[in-house]
Amino acid sequence: MTTGTRSAPIKRIDGLSALFSSLFAMSRKEFIIMRRYPVEFIASFGQVFAIVAIFTLAMLMFADPSGESAGATGGGVVIYGFVLFLYLSDTLWTIGYNIRREQKQGTLEALYLSPASKFASLVSRVTNTLIWTSLLVVAGIWLMSSMLGKLPIANPALGAFILVFALAGTFGFGFALAAVTLRVKEAGQTLANGLTFVLMILCAFFFPFSALPDTLLAITKLIPLSYAVDAFRSTLMDYPPGFPELAPIEIEIVIVVLFGLLMPIIGYLWYRHSETHVRKNGSLSEY
Amino acid sequence: MSLWPEPAARCQKTQGWFELRGKPSLRSKLSIVVATAKMRLSLVSRYKGQLFIEMLIPIVFASIPIMLGRATGGDAAAANFESNTGTSDYVAYMLIGSVTFMIVSYAFWLVGYWIRFEQETGTLEAIYLTPTSRFWNAAGISLYSAIRSILFGTLSYFVGALIFGINPFRGALLLAGMFILVGLVPLFGMTLLFGALIMKVREANSLVNMMQWGVSLLMGVFFPILVFPPLMRTLALAFPPTWMVNGVRSSLLGVGYFFNEWYLDLAVLWAFMLIAPLLGYAVFRRVERGIKRNEGVGQY
Repeated sequence: MTTGTRSAPIKRIDGLSALFSSLFAMSRKEFIIMRRYPVEFIASFGQVFAIVAIFTLAMLMFADPSGESAGATGGGVVIYGFVLFLYLSDTLWTIGYNIRREQKQGTLEALYLSPASKFASLVSRVTNTLIWTSLLVVAGIWLMSSMLGKLPIANPALGAFILVFALAGTFGFGFALAAVTLRVKEAGQTLANGLTFVLMILCAFFFPFSALPDTLLAITKLIPLSYAVDAFRSTLMDYPPGFPELAPIEIEIVIVVLFGLLMPIIGYLWYRHSETHVRKNGSLSEY
Repeated sequence: MSLWPEPAARCQKTQGWFELRGKPSLRSKLSIVVATAKMRLSLVSRYKGQLFIEMLIPIVFASIPIMLGRATGGDAAAANFESNTGTSDYVAYMLIGSVTFMIVSYAFWLVGYWIRFEQETGTLEAIYLTPTSRFWNAAGISLYSAIRSILFGTLSYFVGALIFGINPFRGALLLAGMFILVGLVPLFGMTLLFGALIMKVREANSLVNMMQWGVSLLMGVFFPILVFPPLMRTLALAFPPTWMVNGVRSSLLGVGYFFNEWYLDLAVLWAFMLIAPLLGYAVFRRVERGIKRNEGVGQY
């Protein structure tokens, strides 16, 4: 008969240590899952290639066939808007629709039975978006450059600054959608689809804001993400004549910074409120 | 004395509708097609919000190159477009391409994704337990896809024409409709080929997403395929949707058929119509048999 060995005392962590430990573990889980689907990874690049090629060729149909090509400005408008669109689209689906995935995978109950932060589960999907989508963005920029010639890349530091706050605001938008998805359930898919297409037009990701009719432009000016799109691509294109289009760049940067600081907080608070509501009325476990 | 006749006698009573002793009759096979289509239409009719958004999608997609083109070309947008494509009516050109893109997408998501859908809804085993051939199930799904895509494609076209202020009744509408109807059959055959790949690989969503955009690029959804390099142009011409979309554009906008006459282009589509479904289904069955011998079709 062997004598029992004394087990090492369990090291308990709480507070911020527990939150970051959960966040790291969940992010690592997302990354491991991502690595298991190489076909999805390759197909994503194929999809980006096709989308960029379609819109670039469509744009070239309007260029003077005997003169210069649509050029760097037109290409810059499309590709830099496409960059933000990729992040927005991924955010809406991987963060906003996240809770439905947990339900479909059957891991929701296990998640709520554990003491791990539920919000960390939401935030951990941001890691996935940042890595995967960033690779797609680089591929898209390279492809468009090869089709149209060198794209303008000016003011990279300011452009990166605007991108960081635009992304933060976009992630906050995703948290808000997750809050709504908790209540509307499968209708969240229709909502995410609808929002993607509405914002595709109103935030003018693929064309200049000057192409929008005045009635739509009035609505566009109420959406902070529009200023993020305008500021980001105008900055990287080194402010060609007529850019930025919605407001002076200084005002747009202030709007983007406020969007990036406030939207995650608003999205988080809304998510916690919705989570409490569905836990109280028992609909959290309803599929 | 039993009130119920013996089982053999019962079967003989129902002879003429379904023969238990032999193979199903043609009438019963066609009833499978109709029942499958009815079931899927009934299912989708419960999601009215999704249907409404699907009707708007082609209009939104068309508006992107339209607005991009207006910003790029300015006052010369229509003239430049005519020099590059053969028509100055870029709004109708983009709208037609976008509606055709929706029809192609429906085909991939509904027909190509069909087996995966049955796995996800848990009805795959039930289908394989029936004495029917998968061909009739696939035909039912194709009928459903055709109804849904033609209905919503037509609605999108007319609503889009209203929004953009163009005349939807211009050109040879019946001929355009003929190109779509004839083009649908080889398109479904092609998606069965793709369905075989999905059965093998199983990462369906990403593959379908990539294919719908890839085929849209090849068929020239917003531009003529003449802009492609020669090899890519040849590959594009091997795709039935390319002939379909060009046929519709030529009928309505007069941009020019590939062989200069409508009946020659339609003849090519007829040839595709004969070859593509048979080839697609043959490959599908071969892959299905291979999977059944190995890991089994039910493995999710």
